[in-house]
Amino acid sequence: MSTTTDPRPHGTPASLQDSQDAVGRLNPGAWLLVMNREIVVRALNKAFLVGLVVSLVLIGGVLAFVAWQSERTDSYTVAVVGDDATAVAVAQTARERGLASAEAAEASEDGDDGDEAAAGAAGFGAVAVPQADITVLEVADDAAARTALEDGTADAWLHRAGAGDPGAGWTLAGWSEPSGTLTTLLGAGVTERVLADNAARAGTSVAELTAGSTLTTERLDGHAVDRTFVFMAGFAFAFLFLMGAIGSGAMVAGSVVEEKQSRLVEIMAPAVSLRHLLAGKILGSSVIALAQNVLFAGVGLVGLSFTPLAQTLPAMSVSLGWFVAFFTVGFVAVASLYAVAGALASRTEDLQSTSTPMTMLVMAVYFLTFSASGTFEKVLSFVPLTSVVSMPVRVLAGEAAWWEALVSLGILAAFTAVAVLVCERAYRGALMQTGGRVTWRKALTAEA
Amino acid sequence: MTRTTSISTAGPAGRATARGADLEVRDLTRVFGDGLRAVDRVTFTAPSGLLTGFVGGNGAGKTTTMRMIMGVLAVSEGEVRFGGAPITAADRRTFGYMPEERGLYPKQAVLDQLVYLARLRGVSARAARAEVLEQLERLGLAERAKDHVEKLSLGNQQRVQIIAALMGSPRALVLDEPFSGLDPSAVDGMVDLLREHTARGVPVLFSSHQLDLVERLCERLVILKGGRVVAAGTPAELQETGTVRHRLVVGGDAGWVRGVPGVHAVDVEGSVALVELADEGATRRLLTAALERGPVHELTPLRPTLAQIFREVTA
Repeated sequence: MSTTTDPRPHGTPASLQDSQDAVGRLNPGAWLLVMNREIVVRALNKAFLVGLVVSLVLIGGVLAFVAWQSERTDSYTVAVVGDDATAVAVAQTARERGLASAEAAEASEDGDDGDEAAAGAAGFGAVAVPQADITVLEVADDAAARTALEDGTADAWLHRAGAGDPGAGWTLAGWSEPSGTLTTLLGAGVTERVLADNAARAGTSVAELTAGSTLTTERLDGHAVDRTFVFMAGFAFAFLFLMGAIGSGAMVAGSVVEEKQSRLVEIMAPAVSLRHLLAGKILGSSVIALAQNVLFAGVGLVGLSFTPLAQTLPAMSVSLGWFVAFFTVGFVAVASLYAVAGALASRTEDLQSTSTPMTMLVMAVYFLTFSASGTFEKVLSFVPLTSVVSMPVRVLAGEAAWWEALVSLGILAAFTAVAVLVCERAYRGALMQTGGRVTWRKALTAEA
Repeated sequence: MTRTTSISTAGPAGRATARGADLEVRDLTRVFGDGLRAVDRVTFTAPSGLLTGFVGGNGAGKTTTMRMIMGVLAVSEGEVRFGGAPITAADRRTFGYMPEERGLYPKQAVLDQLVYLARLRGVSARAARAEVLEQLERLGLAERAKDHVEKLSLGNQQRVQIIAALMGSPRALVLDEPFSGLDPSAVDGMVDLLREHTARGVPVLFSSHQLDLVERLCERLVILKGGRVVAAGTPAELQETGTVRHRLVVGGDAGWVRGVPGVHAVDVEGSVALVELADEGATRRLLTAALERGPVHELTPLRPTLAQIFREVTA
């Protein structure tokens, strides 16, 4: 009908009539103006900037804490009764192990030693010898040891359990529960010492007893990434997705309802195609969301290089690259859904309820992906939106081949294309309906 | 025409000139999903170069009609015509429109968002800025150019909104309640502005519920009730269709007028009576009767005010 908004694209006979004149012509660059405005308005928004700075400080803080943890060498004082030569020897062994571990960590930190075993010793997961500086305090008798614990001059007291029974083992006493680091080190000292004694008694040596008993792990695909790290990275990806999707999604919804509520969209609609308006909003918010995630990822990678996890950088960079690609495509779908949430609302107050389904969806992606594993994770890595997190995680873990990632990205792109088309219709259908909330059904079936 | 703008060129190639294009509405109907006929076969013309007032109570269909004219709302039946032909999207792009709600972007500077709106229409950044600054200057808002819209008074927000509608020499103006919230001097300023546009042949259609204002301003009136046009024409034409009353002032008590045949006494208070006369004979009988009783100080026809006509036609 001639009286409805003319959907004819620029260049059809109807617009040729006016083509020699600036007046009445549809502006083909409108989407660019809309996009610029969205970006500038967001970039100058105080709440957004504060949130960005807080997030960056958090990421930097966590990594700084990890780096500090890895460098830190705790000091302990262990009391032993001076008369018990075995106890003194055990404590000395533990002291040597703790110091050796601290030196190894420092060496790998400075890059003098790229040896994975040394780095692994200080890293996540590996069965590591903790770093510690143990001082051995020789005391006169048990009573003196107790006093030392009570007044705090010693952190723990190592002595034989049972009176003179060699089979009873050893006890590490503390005024409260002794520290885990200390227990591990002294446990290792006790094992080493007792093994040596028992071996000597049996007429052999520890070396002979333990010969050929080591088990080392090796990955043939060259991924220097352990499971704990993959889990942490998965958590980080899921969190980045959540922050980007909810933050920038809410921005799109807010900007759409702002124009609807003030009827600005009615002023713009005759002049600008609503498609341009929507495209500009989606692209603008995508640019912001992407820039934000690239910034987070960059700070994360730089921070990571200062921690013992630096060895994971190459694998992590590849995975992050996939995450950025998946996020970019997936966010366009999220942004269009949020644009509809904005168009369904009549006033800002309605946003809460119209955007609930989108928020639930994003939350579901977050909770499903960061805890997923095995076959479930494999499935998620191909399902649109959860694939944004799960596929990069599988790439990081070395479980997915590059072509799997490409196929998944293709599926996501197809999903996004459909989502954009449906959302564009709902957006245009709902935008001009004033008075109360609009339903999806009404939005999709509206005439104009 | 006293104003020249740097933005638009003359009328589009398809029409010789912008002057002389009437905005017509024919049998325009809007049926909402729930079957409500918000606008029912509305027909009227907003002629080129004239101010046409659109009045009616709340829910009469003014806003719905204007939204259909602007193509914001789909038309159920009937049509909108501009310059004698069915309206096109290209026509609408040259219209200035002020929707019922105000606010624009509350948290953006006045200058920035007006320039943005102009640029969306394809105006260059420089030309847009020049016109916006000129308009702000004219409306006394030059110093507020950098302020956020939400920081302005309601009257000033209204001015910013009208600038948004008037930019780029529109070929027709459709304004929903452009005077609401303005003080009398601001109304005068706004009227002067609109007159400049009618002077260059632009039809201006505006809605209002301030009848005194509409009566004073506009050359044509359309009164809407329940989605239908109940009266339309110039104020003088409407006044003729209204019931003319007479005021009679006599020497003594005027209570006797109630007994004169053909005379309907609307109100009698002491020596003053307000009457409606059925025909010429009634006038003669009333005068004769009055003169028999004593002096007659006054017998004047009272032209009905628009407010009275409005009450009559929408009753």
